[in-house]
Amino acid sequence: MQVLKGISFELGEGEVKVVFGPSGSGKSTLLRCINMLNPPDKGEVYLRGENITDPEVNINAMRARIGMVFQHFNLFAHLKAIDNVSIGLRRVRGFPKEEAREKALEVLQTVKMEKWADHYPAELSGGQQQRVGIARALAMDPDVILFDEPTSALDPELIGEVLQVMLDLAKAGTTMIVVTHEMGFAKAVASEMIFLGDGVIIESGTPEHFFISPKSERVKKFLQQLDILYGSHEKLLK
Amino acid sequence: MSDIPSLSEIIFYILRRGLYHTLLLTALGLLIGFILGISLALIRLYGAKELAWFSSGYEKLFRGIPLIVLIYVFAFGLPDIFWYIDPLELRLGGVVLALSLRSAAYQSQIFRGAILSVNPGQMEAARALGMKGSQAFRHVVMPQALRLAVPSWSNEYAVVIKDSSFASAIGIIELTQAAYFVSVSFQEIWALSYLILAILYFLFTYPITRIFGERQSKKLKKFGMGGG
Amino acid sequence: MILQDRPNPIGELLIVLEYWDHILSGFLLTMWLYGWALLMGFFLGLILANLRQYGGWFLSRIASGYIEFMRGTPLLAQLFFIYFLPSSLNIPVGNWKIETSFTILNKDITIILLNYRTLAGLLTLGLNSAAYQAEYFRGSIMSVGTEQLMAAQSIGMSRIAGIRHIVLPQALRRVIPAWSNEAAYLPKYTVVVYFIGVKDLFSQAHLTVTLTFISVTTYVLIAIIFLVTITLISKGLDIIHKKTMIPGL
Repeated sequence: MQVLKGISFELGEGEVKVVFGPSGSGKSTLLRCINMLNPPDKGEVYLRGENITDPEVNINAMRARIGMVFQHFNLFAHLKAIDNVSIGLRRVRGFPKEEAREKALEVLQTVKMEKWADHYPAELSGGQQQRVGIARALAMDPDVILFDEPTSALDPELIGEVLQVMLDLAKAGTTMIVVTHEMGFAKAVASEMIFLGDGVIIESGTPEHFFISPKSERVKKFLQQLDILYGSHEKLLK
Repeated sequence: MSDIPSLSEIIFYILRRGLYHTLLLTALGLLIGFILGISLALIRLYGAKELAWFSSGYEKLFRGIPLIVLIYVFAFGLPDIFWYIDPLELRLGGVVLALSLRSAAYQSQIFRGAILSVNPGQMEAARALGMKGSQAFRHVVMPQALRLAVPSWSNEYAVVIKDSSFASAIGIIELTQAAYFVSVSFQEIWALSYLILAILYFLFTYPITRIFGERQSKKLKKFGMGGG
Repeated sequence: MILQDRPNPIGELLIVLEYWDHILSGFLLTMWLYGWALLMGFFLGLILANLRQYGGWFLSRIASGYIEFMRGTPLLAQLFFIYFLPSSLNIPVGNWKIETSFTILNKDITIILLNYRTLAGLLTLGLNSAAYQAEYFRGSIMSVGTEQLMAAQSIGMSRIAGIRHIVLPQALRRVIPAWSNEAAYLPKYTVVVYFIGVKDLFSQAHLTVTLTFISVTTYVLIAIIFLVTITLISKGLDIIHKKTMIPGL
């Protein structure tokens, strides 16, 4: 089955791209194509000029440069928070144990989770787990981080803390592709928004474009529904 | 030593000498084990504390003793009790007792697990309709539990049919013993006789564990049965 | 009348216990067989489970065929097959043996640790247990879920590294309760080696019966020894499990 058809876009250094659209429109598949967890049948993905869809390329080394944050966190259940963050440094980057630990602690500080470093994932709330998930991606110093609906599995009261971390990252110049329905977040930091429907780009543009004068009827309706469902989340952002 | 028998002759010989006892022992072991096992499960779940304790002790006891030891205890113990019966005739009874008491311990676990895995909401819903506890158990919980138990139970069938091979230890001729006879009588085809034996057991177990095990599991999953 | 002829069980037990050196040597051999069979079954089972799960079309078919075959045929038939394999192919098995002996309370005890019979028994038990252990391992590998491997790959780990560092450590923890069951009950399956003349606990009991003509009491004693051993192993594994538990696994 063809999920994505003829999608093409570019992402510049420090830009934040927000992808949204109805479920089943191919948002998650798009992210999984970008880091080749779901290799595309056709088409190419370039990272700083290198074609990562080329079968010759070492895909593991490429994935190390593309961070990913999952909807259901997918923290490694047998590792403490700090080891979740440092394992990539140790096993992929070859850091010595102590150095990896130091760096992991630093990253945990940026997501305000350093106090929970020695807890196992099952002992953390969803919001805390997701912040560790972000730290795990961040620790690898990736060129870009992909967020796959990072807040949609969270209870409403936990969404704010995760969005705040993402907002801080965006403001610090992290390059990100974010699949989300949190329009407040999009409004605040997106450099471009993409509306995906049935595997094609229906409309793209700046947040101003979408919130003031969207062209397609479908986008208008969808945004109205989002406003009913998620509108209240906007005040979660400072 | 006579001429090497043909393939069909070997198969026929093994079946003729061994199949009767293998199937008889399996059927009796499973049947008695079923009646005892389901009673033990109910006692353990709903019985008085002392009875539940007895039931769990029974499970531990019969799961911890090797089957051959059980067979020997009963094969030599029964004649002590029933001294007026010819001990040779009691051998078969000893094996049946060993197989069924052992299987009862395992079947008790299977049924207890199945009853426990029926969603507690089912009981609540039945009581909410006004059923008595016993009615709810009989008409709502038990029918689901028995279906849930089918995959594990088909596994237990495979265990008992294989375990019946230990009856050969006290001279009862069943499939394994019959194949052993062929293999020692005709050294040249010993491997063939075991291959045939393996295929026979496979034919008797695989279709059943397949249909009642895997297919039933899938069906149960489709209906969303089991789990809390 | 008949009841009066029955000697009392305590008296019988005391007579049987005079042969404690036989029973002890049988017990030690049974535990020796158990340890090696468990170890062999563990490593082979782990390999089989990984092949079945990750081995690709061909290797996973081979692994599942092996597992189905071993689980579908009686242990006794497998034992006879392996035991008679060399002689029927006219391969000499030799009369070699490795044994150990020691003295306790003025009785000399000699245990044959390895000879052809023991080796055949060990191989059969290990190969058989591997099939059962493999199914436990596979179940726990499947329960870890594909998301964990995907997350590992997303930070740049290779598939192999992800299986090794992320999936297997979790699978091996999750498998402990089910695996403990196999591990605790394996001693009772070692009894089959009696059929090929290995001097394990049950064979020694048999020998004691032929020396004393006391059957039921002897076999009940053996049953109790198995029961106690299995209960102790089971409790020990439970304690280890509780001590190494990680929240959420």
